[in-house]
Amino acid sequence: MADYQEAPLATRPKTLDPNEYFSVSLEQRRSEQSRAALRANLKRQYQMQLNNPLRRELIEDPALTRWVYARTHTYPHFNATSKTSLLGAMFGVAPLFILYYVFKTDRV
Amino acid sequence: MRTSHSVRQRPSVNMAGVGFRRWAQALCRGNGSGISALVSGCRAASGVSKGSLPGPYPTTPEEKAAAAKKYNMTVEDYEPYPNKGEGYGDYPNLPERSQHERDPWYQWDHPDLRRNWGEPIHWDFDMYIRNRVDTSPSPVSWSSMCKQLFGFIGFMLFMFYLGEKFPSYQPVAAKQYPYNDLYLEKGGDPEKEPEEVKHYEI
Repeated sequence: MADYQEAPLATRPKTLDPNEYFSVSLEQRRSEQSRAALRANLKRQYQMQLNNPLRRELIEDPALTRWVYARTHTYPHFNATSKTSLLGAMFGVAPLFILYYVFKTDRV
Repeated sequence: MRTSHSVRQRPSVNMAGVGFRRWAQALCRGNGSGISALVSGCRAASGVSKGSLPGPYPTTPEEKAAAAKKYNMTVEDYEPYPNKGEGYGDYPNLPERSQHERDPWYQWDHPDLRRNWGEPIHWDFDMYIRNRVDTSPSPVSWSSMCKQLFGFIGFMLFMFYLGEKFPSYQPVAAKQYPYNDLYLEKGGDPEKEPEEVKHYEI
């Protein structure tokens, strides 16, 4: 796998990344440590809730709540730029007229 | 120590009726107008708090740090989507990696999704689940795959086009019918003599 090349839509796996093994600086180690600390904290929270014998309800995942909220509440952060207007026109307005024209003129 | 015998028995009260009465009194007394008069001024403390939900694009470093903390990421990892008005707000721009690429042998909290509880979810997470888009490295390079597929399709299209242009088949002649080209069957007059049709030459 020494001659492995990345493709545009595929990525180099972490285990094939030479930076993972050679020249790992102190900075990188520290950032890895802080990431691991965050992950461990989340793991601990989950395990405490999971193994709590008095728990009756579902364990709610705030990351999931945030994801769903972000995906549904995009309008407050929407700005009408050239790109967004073009996309809106291409997918929302143009099919309306094109399909109307096609349905009206091309009758079987 | 049980004190049940000393408790006075109160008459049962319909709590819904009490609540409605109190609400009507507050409505008469309240100083709001329209919808804000009907809605209570305070809300319950249960459920998610406003600060833990996604917000607008962070501009100052303090906002960035607060957003990173909110999403359980380190400050150097947290990177919001560029503010191009596409509706992302302060949601983090995570690397576009599918769940196929995650370690299958690690003990994930949700093994089918290969995800731990509380981990920030990619914007296109539902696209990157293991039933759908896979971004794992392919055994052959992308250019080679493209060349093979489109080369084959292009070649087949070209050959079919040539086949349409230059057809090649066994020599055929027009079909020959008996009885003077089916004179009577085609509605010819039985009294009249049909002209002789000869399909052969001797």
